[in-house]
Amino acid sequence: MGSVLAASSPNPPPPATGGTAASGLTVPPGFGMPSVSPVISPTGAALGQQETENPLPNPGAFDECHRKCKEVFPMQMEGVRLVVNKGLSNHFQVNHNVMLSTMGDSTYRFGATYVGSKQTGPAELFPVMVGDMDNSGSLNAQIIHQITKRIRSKVAFQTQQNKFVNWQGDAEFRGEDFTATVTLGNPDVLVGSGIVVTHYLQSITPALALGGELVYHHRPGEEGTVMSFVGRYTGNNYIATLTLGSAGAHASYYHKANDQLQVGVELEASSRMQDTSVSFGYQLDMPKANLLFKGSIDSNWVVGATLEKKLLPLPLSLVLCTFLNHSKNKFQCGFGATIG
Amino acid sequence: MATIEELSPVSVRPPEDEIDDDEDEDLDETLTERLWGLTEMFPDTVRSAAEVSAVCSVSLAKKIYSFSRAALWVGTTSFMILVLPVVFETERLQLEQQQLQQQRQILLGPNTGMSAGMPGMMPPAPGKI
Repeated sequence: MGSVLAASSPNPPPPATGGTAASGLTVPPGFGMPSVSPVISPTGAALGQQETENPLPNPGAFDECHRKCKEVFPMQMEGVRLVVNKGLSNHFQVNHNVMLSTMGDSTYRFGATYVGSKQTGPAELFPVMVGDMDNSGSLNAQIIHQITKRIRSKVAFQTQQNKFVNWQGDAEFRGEDFTATVTLGNPDVLVGSGIVVTHYLQSITPALALGGELVYHHRPGEEGTVMSFVGRYTGNNYIATLTLGSAGAHASYYHKANDQLQVGVELEASSRMQDTSVSFGYQLDMPKANLLFKGSIDSNWVVGATLEKKLLPLPLSLVLCTFLNHSKNKFQCGFGATIG
Repeated sequence: MATIEELSPVSVRPPEDEIDDDEDEDLDETLTERLWGLTEMFPDTVRSAAEVSAVCSVSLAKKIYSFSRAALWVGTTSFMILVLPVVFETERLQLEQQQLQQQRQILLGPNTGMSAGMPGMMPPAPGKI
């Protein structure tokens, strides 16, 4: 049961992005990808054959560059949410999600996670199949499998009731000191449209990693490419990342102040919408009080906080979330309970 | 001729009555008008400078007042959202730890330090059998 929970503890689903080609693809919106921890860097694997310095570590996945900073920020939710996780066996886990909402519809989601038996690391088991279905019949499904020691592939589907909205497949190759990913999104042979995204991330020094992303989209009658570059510098207790592209710039800084406090600062500038925003977030972790508190303050005059508390004798955890927009004078609060 | 004779005491006045008539006319002015009239003794530049600075300071005071209202509201609600839960929880944790330590002291005797109860120490024997 432990391996199921370890391999498939879901990240909080990313806020639904507005369907931009570059960012909405690799993680289908509204659907959390199970956190597969990065492959252990092959240090010391072939020291004799390398040059005098230590071999460079694998830089990790391309999408994880900004992830550490984003995890510090609280997630916005509203309404009441009840999540029941039940592990049925070592390989299989089921979850029920009831979301009562004040703006929008209340929904019930049923999800299942299956974890296979091919073990590649201490907490990684493949293949991983995650799916969930809505009360209106919308399905999200993902299959992740480690095909060879270095190639991992993922196939994802998303439907809105009975119409397929998103279908994509990708393959990720982890070399000694680089990671390359190719994603094919919504390929439609009949119409002749599709999106191809390639990522490449290379370690230059043990602390610095540079990479790039190329998005090519094709529709009958139009085609285009979008390119962006990524640089990530890792210090001993901080990570600074910068993404520059034709769609804008995104810089993030993550700092771990001590065991309890982590701080993140993020700057986003979008050339399409011609606006910039700066956000500052912090995460306070007090395991003695079973408390995890995340707060954020934004340049759009939005203040938000999330408090997560484990009521320990029971496998129960509570989440309280408040978001206040001072400029529009709108307030949103949410409450959630997770059992199991 | 009678009309002309009646009019004459009205039209022709002795000089000392003019002062009384002027005072009668002055009583129709209000106090503020009289005070305002006093300002006419200052030169124009002084008057305009005083007027501008008075208007500016009134508008500045209004702006400061509304800004401090908004700032107080924003500050209080942001503090409530960002800081208050953490304060509550840390205080509760401290109180719990204090209580636990007190209980441990009562149970194991007043010499128990902060460390989690040394294994060799025995609880004091009950006084009464």
